Amino acid sequence: MKNNDINEKLSALYDGELDEAEINSVLDALSSDESLQKKLSHYALMSSALNINEGNVQPIKPKNRFNSNFWFSNGITAAASVLLTIVFINFDTINFSRLGPDNEAANRLNLAINSKEAKDIASLSEENLVDHVLKVINNPEFMSSNNSDIDLRNVGFNTKGQSNSQYIKGKESFRLRLEKKNLGINKVRYWKHGNKMIYLVPLADGRVLTLYGNLNSKSAIEIAEVIDK
Amino acid sequence: MKKNNPEEDSLLIHRAQKGDTGAFNFLMTKYYPRVYASLFAFTKSKEDSEDLAQQTFIKVWKKINSFRGDSAFFTWVYRIAINLAKNHVVSSNYKKDKINISSDAIEMDFASHANPETDLMHSQSLFKVRSFINSLPETLRTAFTLRESDGLSYEEIALITDTPIGTVRSRIFRAREGVLEFISQESTNEK
Repeated sequence: MKNNDINEKLSALYDGELDEAEINSVLDALSSDESLQKKLSHYALMSSALNINEGNVQPIKPKNRFNSNFWFSNGITAAASVLLTIVFINFDTINFSRLGPDNEAANRLNLAINSKEAKDIASLSEENLVDHVLKVINNPEFMSSNNSDIDLRNVGFNTKGQSNSQYIKGKESFRLRLEKKNLGINKVRYWKHGNKMIYLVPLADGRVLTLYGNLNSKSAIEIAEVIDK
Repeated sequence: MKKNNPEEDSLLIHRAQKGDTGAFNFLMTKYYPRVYASLFAFTKSKEDSEDLAQQTFIKVWKKINSFRGDSAFFTWVYRIAINLAKNHVVSSNYKKDKINISSDAIEMDFASHANPETDLMHSQSLFKVRSFINSLPETLRTAFTLRESDGLSYEEIALITDTPIGTVRSRIFRAREGVLEFISQESTNEK
């Protein structure tokens, strides 16, 4: 009876429907009751199963691996990521016993979130850079939007097009863009997308040069040096 | 499609913002599968998805005080996760930071990652779970489905079904227990 009561409260808390006065009792019970921890994990998996779009879940071979590097989360969630996919693939691979909680998890959580590694990861932000690259690839106008008639003839590139936004030399052709902000980079970054290259080159004055097109790295450096002068 | 209620989990979020790791652990456990699944849909790599899920929750913990409740908590978490994933897609494929690159630069794949074979495998077992849910007594099935699939609050479900909230809560709990029992039995039968 008591078990059912706490289990029902857990279900309600999972739905965000438990009164504040009752939350403490569930959280307290969770901290020491492994079966409750398993149940919470199962509720989460069930929700994902029922709400996920087909195709979002992919088969993962079950492994007896409680990754020791999985230092931030607890054993339940580590296993949950595996179970989530197994449930949909083949029931015979489910092993609920593997969902036993890691008793050290709570302590490790505190240590982990204050560790240097955690702080380093948390501060790692290249979101602006990613957005920039995606714009370069997906939005042709983006690469022509702030081109200010830069003369690159001394490195052999002539302009083409009404807006002079494209530079050509033999088989090489590209568009460029200059950012006043540095996008958080301090060294050259490059990507290949299809048959084109994207170069992001930090300039000495703090700006960032973006080059996108059929262009080799040697030319990219020459162009950056001209603009940097 | 389940709706995201900005109010859901507000008490737990508030506690986590005050440093309550128990509340944060609850939220993390609750949302881990959805975060993982979202990341997997993006990366198609379990290792990457696990790593990114870790990074996501570290970042969530670090930034949780900036969560204002303007959107649903999961929406906010999802945004963090996908930004990390986008970052990962770009940077992990292109770790060479030197300008003296070779001509065999790494391909960046922005195409869809659809995989019909695995989709089929997935749908076959999911069908079993959904079939079982459809076999639940109507009162349980209705309450459970309105909650899990439609994301309605207990109060909304109570209004729709003309049932006391306490009964709604009990029915949803019993339905959940039934589904878990079914999965457990299926697991045993298949062994």
